[in-house]
Amino acid sequence: MHRLGAAVVMKLSLTLIFSAFLCACAVPASTTAVVRDKPVIYASFYPVYDFAKKAAGDFAEVRCFIPDGAEPHDWEPSPRDIAGLMGADLFLYAGMGFEHWVDSVLSGLGQDAPPAVETSLAIQALLASPDDGREHDGHHIHDDHDHHDSHVWLSPRLAKLQFAAVCEALKEIDPKNAGSYDEALKKHLAEFDKLDDEFKALSLLPKKVIVVTHEAFGYLCRDYGLEQISIAGYSPEDEPGPARMAQVTRLARENGVTVVFYEELSSAKIARTVAAEIGAKTLPLSPLEGLTDEERENGDDYFSVMRKNHAALKEALS
Amino acid sequence: MLEIFAYDFMQKAFLAGITLAVIIPCIGVIIVLRRLPMIGDALAHTSLAGVAAGLLLGINPVAGAIVVSMAAALCIEGIRKKLPKYAELSIAVTMSAGIGLAGILSGFTSGSGSFNSFLFGSIVSIDSFELALVIATSLVVLIVFLLLYKELFYVALDESSARISGVPVGFVNAVFTLLTAACVSIASRTVGALIVSSLMVIPVTCAMQFAKSYRQTVIFSVLFAVCFTIAGLFLSFYLDLRPGATIVLTGCVVLIAILITRNSKRKLG
Repeated sequence: MHRLGAAVVMKLSLTLIFSAFLCACAVPASTTAVVRDKPVIYASFYPVYDFAKKAAGDFAEVRCFIPDGAEPHDWEPSPRDIAGLMGADLFLYAGMGFEHWVDSVLSGLGQDAPPAVETSLAIQALLASPDDGREHDGHHIHDDHDHHDSHVWLSPRLAKLQFAAVCEALKEIDPKNAGSYDEALKKHLAEFDKLDDEFKALSLLPKKVIVVTHEAFGYLCRDYGLEQISIAGYSPEDEPGPARMAQVTRLARENGVTVVFYEELSSAKIARTVAAEIGAKTLPLSPLEGLTDEERENGDDYFSVMRKNHAALKEALS
Repeated sequence: MLEIFAYDFMQKAFLAGITLAVIIPCIGVIIVLRRLPMIGDALAHTSLAGVAAGLLLGINPVAGAIVVSMAAALCIEGIRKKLPKYAELSIAVTMSAGIGLAGILSGFTSGSGSFNSFLFGSIVSIDSFELALVIATSLVVLIVFLLLYKELFYVALDESSARISGVPVGFVNAVFTLLTAACVSIASRTVGALIVSSLMVIPVTCAMQFAKSYRQTVIFSVLFAVCFTIAGLFLSFYLDLRPGATIVLTGCVVLIAILITRNSKRKLG
């Protein structure tokens, strides 16, 4: 009896292992290298992906490492993702600590790691320089944080530099098409400048303070003379304590805030609670960490989402 | 009026917190008597799978949590019947399955922000619908608990002699398990799934140091839980701490203080 039981267990375990193996074979192997004429580029998440796609045009295949709609702050790559990365010709990421898994993944891959480019290096150098073009007037509601804000792409002025870094990286791995990447750079820089001009107009509006759930809009505020009050911290996962909630509602009232911004990829509950407290309304403001399903269906990109942000900010500030 | 009550969200937090502080220890007393203190933990963790499923299907995650943790509760009862000598085993198995399921499902939810808020709760951002859900569920749990007051005690204390004296043990157990599941699910929204079970056990442990009867244990437990909740909310508001964790730690500190003073008294006497 006992031996029979052991045999059944053995058979069961073998069946399990075998069927898991079969499943693995049945999954289409998109990660294995097919014969390809174009370099494969992995971009860590949405803004980098969008920039890479715009820069690459038809000359490279761009894949997004973090799937659209996932919240990138606490995303972790699966074994399959890492296998895919091994076959890439270039890996682009935003950096400044935003993708916390980058270092361990790249060092884990060792020799198999594709060349990786941190697209915010030029921006970091600019921010570190004493004269970074920052306007020092205006009071700061809370600047007691020493944390890094890594959401540089939310300021069109800095996003431009990030885009240039993406083009540069593409030129390096694919020198024979360098001319086309230069062309893409030129074309899009004009568009970034246009967006920059539109955002500059925001500083003419009467109000200066925005209330957001997650502290992502620091660079946008910095470059266009605004102030952000964030309900939670740097990650949208942070839940504010009751003291912070009370402080935010007080500051929001003092500054005549009529709109509380939330992010569509995170919970809007906290924004709704604060808005109810001060009698304001809620509007989405995208940190562009990914597209919502609706945005993807509409074929939105960096520029169109930033223009929607612009419209929402305009409503909140006038 | 104190500043803390000037905010709408704090009023809601107090209302939800105190309501839960009344019903959670009622369930807790029975759980402690049955020597299954980990069942709350298991159900709370399993309810996370329901939260993830709810977020995925676009239904209210608290509703999802209630459904899944009720299923898990019945699972625990089922396994417990199969392996009567290893009651804890049924809890461990169900909990593992629940956490595994939650882990996989939460990988598919977009915007896991709301998922994470269930781990430690978000008592300061309860909306009106959830407050209504908390109050309605609590009323049901309280009424059923009072109706089955004696039966629950009897079954918890000695299942076989309860059966001999004609108590419908199976029915009482099933009802109680469902109550526990409902209770844990709504509480995971407020104090969080990771700490709800301590709110079940700590007030009861405190009460048992003083109470001389079943009735007294129930009443003292509720009083302790209500005090912990009020004190915890005050502390978290004025010291800027996480509310759920503060409530539980307040309870722990009080329990330790009680144990120490009673011990030293015993030594002196």
